[in-house]
Amino acid sequence: MKKSIVRAVLMLGAALAVLPALSIAAQAPAAPAAGAPGLRYEIWVELDPAGQMLAGKEEIVWTNPTKDTVPDMLLHLYWNAFKNEASAFMREAAAETMFGGSAAPEDEGWGWVDVTDIRLADGTDLKPAFQFVTPDGPDHPDDQTVARVLFPVPVRPGESVHLRIEFRSKVPRTVARSGYYRNSFFIGQWFPKPGVYEEGKGWNCHAYHQNSEFFADFADFTVHITVPRGYVVGSSGKAVDTRTDESAGTATTTFRQSMVHDFAWMTDPRYLRIERDFVADREVTPQEYKETADLLGLPPDEVRLPDVKMILLIAPEHRSQIERHFNALRAALKYYGLWYGPYPYETVTMVDPPFRTGSGGMEYPTLFTAGTQVLTSRDVQSPEMVIIHEFGHGYWYGLAANNEFEAAWLDEGFNTYSTTRVMAKAFGPGAFGFRFNGLPLDWFVRVPKVFDYETNRVAAINTVRYDPVTAWSWEFYNRGSYGANVYMRAATVLSTLENLLGEPVWSRIMRTYHMRYRFRHPTEADFAGVVNEIAGKDMTWFFDELLEETRAFDYGVAALTSVEVPVQVRGVFDRNGAREEWTEKKIEDLEAAEAKAPDEGRGKALYRTTVVLRRFGEARLAGDAQVEVLIRFKDGTTETRTWDGRDRWTRLVIVSPVEAESAQVDPRGIWLIDENLANNSRSADGLRRNVVKLMTQLLFTVQNILHFFGSWS
Amino acid sequence: MGVFKAIFSGMGTTFRKPRLLIILYAVNLVFAGLVALPFLFIVQGELGHSLYGLNVQPVDLNWIGEAVLKYQAALPGLAAGLVAAGVVYTVLHIFLNGGIVGRLLDKEGPASLAGFVADCGRYFGRYVRLFLVSLVFLVLTLGVFMSLVSALFKPLSKAAITEWLPLILSNLHLLIALLLLSVVHMTVDYARIAVAVDGERKVLKALRHALTFLKTRFFRAWAVYLLIVVLTVAGTIVFYVLFGRLGAPSVAQVAAGLACMQIYIVFRIWVRTLFVAAQAEFYKAHPY
Repeated sequence: MKKSIVRAVLMLGAALAVLPALSIAAQAPAAPAAGAPGLRYEIWVELDPAGQMLAGKEEIVWTNPTKDTVPDMLLHLYWNAFKNEASAFMREAAAETMFGGSAAPEDEGWGWVDVTDIRLADGTDLKPAFQFVTPDGPDHPDDQTVARVLFPVPVRPGESVHLRIEFRSKVPRTVARSGYYRNSFFIGQWFPKPGVYEEGKGWNCHAYHQNSEFFADFADFTVHITVPRGYVVGSSGKAVDTRTDESAGTATTTFRQSMVHDFAWMTDPRYLRIERDFVADREVTPQEYKETADLLGLPPDEVRLPDVKMILLIAPEHRSQIERHFNALRAALKYYGLWYGPYPYETVTMVDPPFRTGSGGMEYPTLFTAGTQVLTSRDVQSPEMVIIHEFGHGYWYGLAANNEFEAAWLDEGFNTYSTTRVMAKAFGPGAFGFRFNGLPLDWFVRVPKVFDYETNRVAAINTVRYDPVTAWSWEFYNRGSYGANVYMRAATVLSTLENLLGEPVWSRIMRTYHMRYRFRHPTEADFAGVVNEIAGKDMTWFFDELLEETRAFDYGVAALTSVEVPVQVRGVFDRNGAREEWTEKKIEDLEAAEAKAPDEGRGKALYRTTVVLRRFGEARLAGDAQVEVLIRFKDGTTETRTWDGRDRWTRLVIVSPVEAESAQVDPRGIWLIDENLANNSRSADGLRRNVVKLMTQLLFTVQNILHFFGSWS
Repeated sequence: MGVFKAIFSGMGTTFRKPRLLIILYAVNLVFAGLVALPFLFIVQGELGHSLYGLNVQPVDLNWIGEAVLKYQAALPGLAAGLVAAGVVYTVLHIFLNGGIVGRLLDKEGPASLAGFVADCGRYFGRYVRLFLVSLVFLVLTLGVFMSLVSALFKPLSKAAITEWLPLILSNLHLLIALLLLSVVHMTVDYARIAVAVDGERKVLKALRHALTFLKTRFFRAWAVYLLIVVLTVAGTIVFYVLFGRLGAPSVAQVAAGLACMQIYIVFRIWVRTLFVAAQAEFYKAHPY
């Protein structure tokens, strides 16, 4: 069903491709759309650190943006995923086959959210019409992460409903993304939150699954957070007011933010709070603005970036890494802003995740959590990578707000791809972050440096046979397949598409897609439509082969031979009306005579080079895509041929005066998704020095291991 | 006998027995060659005629990823083969230990192959039993003692306010384990020497000889052991520094790299003989 819809929209996109391909002037304005400003929250919440409890009141005003008459509302109660071992989250974690095992906290570490009261603004009690539901089928009947409330009167198109909710929540010890440890609290997905109403389909409100993230409508938030006085608070949005209550020993800070679809906060009495400004004119040179504008075909003013207030909340023991955090955030603000569009909010808050709260590496609108350790290495680009990635989700999830339950690759894949680009541009390759007993391994041995796209590719090629990238989050084979597919395979496919279409077209595609769907909920079909439109051709096959299916991509050179064309072959020939027979002896005599002849009188030797190309994988090229083959000859000359790659194999024959030295498929490295780069080329020569070196090191490794065994016997 | 005298005396002994080193190196090289052969075939088959081989790195993420994908069905078999090879080599080395100890204790002339093999056979049965006893010894000491250390550290780690304390405790835990392991290893070395020096046929008695010996001069014996460990670490650092300085892979560089690696293996084997020789000198200076 899903695939056919995608296909239909892709065809429509292809039809639109007759439009001028490289212009994005026609992109829709970044106007607020679905949900906003039709949704408003005002929340009052107080933290009891001793009991690890939240007491909250919430007002929700929801305006029906559709033509449907809506009789009810579905609310996410995410923390009930941590209530017991019967939740979908816990049961899926227990059944996990790769990163398996129970996710359940220790006793007394359970978390939950209780809706203690729910009414309309006029006082009508809705609690009797409030019940838990399981929208994702009967597999987890005891899951309580989604509740339905029935309205006494259905909400008609354009009408609003005003709900007043009171809730009490127990903060989980540490399960996923939320938790407490001692006096540190990270509070995410914590308040009752409506799903997304989709016209003609109803509420899109999935249970909290182990492999899924979130989906919500854009809204205006006002949140009043009360904590014990002296606690440092970091939050989504901008702090507009702080009041202390001396008698209660508390402080209440009010945060506001428009046009976001979630709201998270943290508090810890030990934390340092540091503010810096991202001053665009200091970070971006006029030349960079000009190059970006030229690349995107936009007026320079449209690529100009705004200044942003950067706020860092960091544990005192990570004080020495403050500059690393800000440097990474500056790079992210700059490049995401230049490439995809200016950051639209006044503030961005990055939080060094509190110790043992399980909250690291997670994104929320205008706030994200990074992650570092007390002992770090300069060559290992952490925390930089996680900062850039989580900030980047502000674009891919925060602004282009796809449904993370149903199409996780649209945010994780896009953002992994984007992170890879920013990291390469700003920091270059990094060393693997391996650790030995908590100590960076590169303190002891040299750890190889790689670009993130290489790591992505390796994960991608090893996971293709498990699931299509586009599967729903909780329907992946296991957590490993989910992660490798939606993050890394998706990113590798996008890198491949970039290589295939070229930087100018690709840059416009990404910019157009982002700006057109900013503050909206884009789908796979929306992206494919933009690709077809900007590329000016139908790329449906590309999405089908590499995202919708589990087909491995692998083209290679199966054989290369280059042999001298004989002067004469054996046998009987009819020439000039006479029949003559060429025997082996006669041919040898001819060759001997040729060899004795002076150079100018000697016939030039010719070589027949045969290259056999194979499609080893299941994925197949289509459209106007071709695979290039570069044949290099021993005199340094080259010849490039192309193959449409539809069949399983083809044979190229070239007759030339020089022997061939090598043949190489995809010499420009366009097809990053190719699962075997080693078979992409074949040379006439054998053993290579690097291969010999590799073999000697392999032998050395085995010798060392054996010696180690021997020493302990 | 002093610590340094034992080490220098041990060094002298090993230098007088170069054939021993040759035998042990040859065994290591041949066995390693056999074990590595399937992997070498894979490398040659995949990269020998590929342009990728021009730039392949010793730890090449892209190629390793491809090889894992291509040979994943064979991986369990290869892993089982490696474990089996490890077990066989362990048994082989138990056999060789007899020759090492026997020849190093023999003051008469160079280590002939015949004498070496005769010693291997002479002590093999006892060394197998000693190896099995040492496993029990290892499990008991490491298992029991480290459980106690863990029980002591766990509540401290659990109550930590920052990551510093768990990090320090974890490394302290590792350090204690390594030191304990060195004690067990050293004790078994002395038991092995006692079997030969004292002509002891019962391995438990030989172990008792070693423990009695260590009871009164534990720290000096441990110093001998740890100083040789330091020598090994220093040699390893020198090797990696030199190896890291070899430039781009020309033929000469590949040859120099190979020579460097093999010299390092010889050094490791020599250190192994030095452990035995120095500890034997120390043991013989304080007869049971």
